Amino acid sequence: MQTQPSAIVISSPMQHSQRSTGRLMLLVIAACIPGVATATWYFGFGVLINIMLAASMAIVLEACALKLRGRDIRLHLSDNSALVTAVLFGIAMPPGASWWLVAMGIFFAIVIAKHIYGGLGQNLFNPAMCGYVLLLLSFPVEMTSWHIPNDVLVDGSSFSAFSLAGLRQSLMVSMPVFGSAQMSSPDSIDGLAMATPLIEFQMAGTSALLAAWDAGVSLFSRDSGAAWELVNMGYLCGGLFLIYKRIISWHIPCAIIATVTMMSTLFYAPDSSAIYGTPYLHLFGSATMIGAFFIATDPVSAATTVRGKIYYGIIIGLAIYGIRVWGSYLDSIAFAVLLGNFCAPALDYLCRPRIYGHGKKSRSVPTTEVEP
Amino acid sequence: MRLVNRLLGRRSDRAPYAIFGGIATDAYKTRSLRSRLMPVPIPEKLVLPLSQNLGVDAIAIVEAGDLVQKFQLLAEAGEPGSVALHAPTSGLVSSISNATVADEFGSQRLCIHLQSDGENRAIETVPEADYRALDHLQLLERIERAGICGLGGAGFPSAQKLSLGMKSGIDLLIINAVECEPFISADEALIRERGASVVVGAEILKSACLASNCIIVLQEDRADAIEALKKALENSSIELMTLAAGYPVGGEKQIIQAVTGMEVPSHAYPASIGVLVFNAGTAYAVYKAMVDGEPCVSRITTLTGAPLQTPKNFETLIGTSVSFLFDLCGIDTTRHTGTIVGGPLMGIQLPTLDVPVMKTSNCLIAMSAAEFPPDEPELACIRCGFCAEACPARLLPQQLYAFSRAHDHEQNLAHGLFDCIECGACAYVCPSHIPLVQYYRSSKAEIRAQQRRQLQSQHWQRQFQQHQYRIKKQQDEAPHQISGDAVGPLKDDEPDKKNRSREDGDKTEAVVFSRERAKREIAEAVARVRARKAGHIASSRTDAKSDG
Repeated sequence: MQTQPSAIVISSPMQHSQRSTGRLMLLVIAACIPGVATATWYFGFGVLINIMLAASMAIVLEACALKLRGRDIRLHLSDNSALVTAVLFGIAMPPGASWWLVAMGIFFAIVIAKHIYGGLGQNLFNPAMCGYVLLLLSFPVEMTSWHIPNDVLVDGSSFSAFSLAGLRQSLMVSMPVFGSAQMSSPDSIDGLAMATPLIEFQMAGTSALLAAWDAGVSLFSRDSGAAWELVNMGYLCGGLFLIYKRIISWHIPCAIIATVTMMSTLFYAPDSSAIYGTPYLHLFGSATMIGAFFIATDPVSAATTVRGKIYYGIIIGLAIYGIRVWGSYLDSIAFAVLLGNFCAPALDYLCRPRIYGHGKKSRSVPTTEVEP
Repeated sequence: MRLVNRLLGRRSDRAPYAIFGGIATDAYKTRSLRSRLMPVPIPEKLVLPLSQNLGVDAIAIVEAGDLVQKFQLLAEAGEPGSVALHAPTSGLVSSISNATVADEFGSQRLCIHLQSDGENRAIETVPEADYRALDHLQLLERIERAGICGLGGAGFPSAQKLSLGMKSGIDLLIINAVECEPFISADEALIRERGASVVVGAEILKSACLASNCIIVLQEDRADAIEALKKALENSSIELMTLAAGYPVGGEKQIIQAVTGMEVPSHAYPASIGVLVFNAGTAYAVYKAMVDGEPCVSRITTLTGAPLQTPKNFETLIGTSVSFLFDLCGIDTTRHTGTIVGGPLMGIQLPTLDVPVMKTSNCLIAMSAAEFPPDEPELACIRCGFCAEACPARLLPQQLYAFSRAHDHEQNLAHGLFDCIECGACAYVCPSHIPLVQYYRSSKAEIRAQQRRQLQSQHWQRQFQQHQYRIKKQQDEAPHQISGDAVGPLKDDEPDKKNRSREDGDKTEAVVFSRERAKREIAEAVARVRARKAGHIASSRTDAKSDG
């Protein structure tokens, strides 16, 4: 008498929450906006160009990889995970990096580090950081050269970094097809290359933000020197937004920040010319915030148990500080996160929570106590 | 006596305790609570599955062609796990044959088909004049005779549960009216309108299990029911506790945790820590059995869902078909996309509407595309850990999922797969829409099959070894005879023959003896296995489903 319900029997539960992976990923990207916008303001279009380049290449590569693996391209592209990888990778790249550098890195990230391991969810290591580290080891000079348009460094230069000319210059630095950068402005390249923003005197000094404040320089003028601190605050805001939205849990970022703070307090040497800088500068003078909130929290490659996440954060925090201070890489986030990724499976195994109804000591492997 | 301390000392300020995990869901309950509890007209035909709950059949004592009266015993409880079955109305037993029942495979079970004669003649019921005068064993016997099983959804025979409790001693009896799953409002409607009876039922249960304390537990957002219950509890020693809304706080293990702060040990019954949990509907059935002398032939069932014009709670006769009930509520067939028996989170989807209401059917949901959109395609697990946050057993669903996909059952066991109560909270929150519970169910089934195979192979191995041993023994004994024979050529055949025949007689005797012993052993083993199976099914179902 009645319409027969569909023959397909669905396992309970029959209702679901409205969250979806694709939306979560988009929110992660949205949370990057304050940081990226600040970075673009201070470092020019190069930042955005990196992200755009990486994103478009990532989508193409992801689609190709899905096709080769015989998966539904539209469905799996809709999880937006490739986009997140690309954004984080693009943020990590120095502005003005050549297109082939970006291409090589994103290829390694998407195809090698992710799809060869079995695609989203199966990769052991953070794809964006894999790509970045490959480039950092293979092209150390290119990866530490920052190309920043004229007026960012020199006020009152011939053109604004945000004018069309500035955009053209940025494009030409990244992609020589648009013309040679030298032709438009002969001294631009030499004059605009920086070794790395995290230079030693910065870490040893006081906050540029406070200095600019004291000196009465507008924080938003690009020569205030407060760029890195403000960029980090942008990522901090984004990260807090993600925690508020319960997209990431607080455990990993808090553990990282607490560890870095503790280490830098412990080893703080005010008069040293080395980089035993203040805790504040270790947190805000480099890429610590984006690392703690956006990169280390990549759920796929991070620890997934609550206690595991805390240990994972501590390991990364120790590595960030250790590599930065006693190692050769000032921007140590990538190495630290990969180190954490190495430890994550063991941490998860060792930090399993006590299951309901199991005694405090029953965390060992039960043999075959299941009923027939 | 930790529990008593807690009850006396710290409960007032600490209880209710927090449960692990849990999720917040939309309730969808008000629509079925708008109208009052209604009795259902007697349908022409009732289909009564001999197994109302755990798949253990009761033993039919009527035959096709018998005329029966309302409340007459149709089938008596047999093996552990089965419950007695009574006629919900008078009429003719038209046949005892297989029919589709309300489980997700649409499997066939042996059912008594009853053709109603419309007269509804009842046998004389014997109300218990004063249930307080009965001792707990008499109460137990009455409850068993009334065919009462857990009406919250699990269907564990109540008398068996009570006797389990008697063995270990019960400190606390919890009457579970939490009903945390969306859509279901049967207990709420019952308490709202018949709260006093539920309280009496709870008192009877309390004296039946000799519990020292009894608490009725509700969710705090059920204002009407709480008010009714407060009135009913004025002169009672039974307490009322309200819990914050959340799912699955009404699960048996979770409600115990919320009320006492204690956890039921893995693979154990709640009785082992001195707690028994009964559903409010069960308490009402006990009241009816004792005060009215009526066996369990009906239950409160919620009929709800957008395609129904008048969703409501019905007092339904066991055996009424789902389609009959939907017609009573006026179903819009164009919007009807499927049917759930139970709640949307733990219920099962019916393959057909032509199935009877059983003692465990607390809710029937007519699904619509708006409320139950078709499942989105499954994406990759990104190990976000939302599931681990939601898991009330504190498992790591994301890890179990990976192990289940890899068929790594050793790891599955190490990560507590069998502590999963299949509440579905993990799959509810999963942003990648992975049907996690389905993975766990199939892993559990695989592990059980594996273990059965293992036991079987062990059995055959033992058989083979015994066989080898016997052959060897025969061979060891044989040379004796040969040597005895070989001592010299026999002059006289007679003694040897005699010997032989005597030996043969011994042997046959031995064989007969061992056969009998084997038979006995097999019978015992079968009984043991059955008992264990029943107990096991009960435990795995009650664990999860004692809520309602």
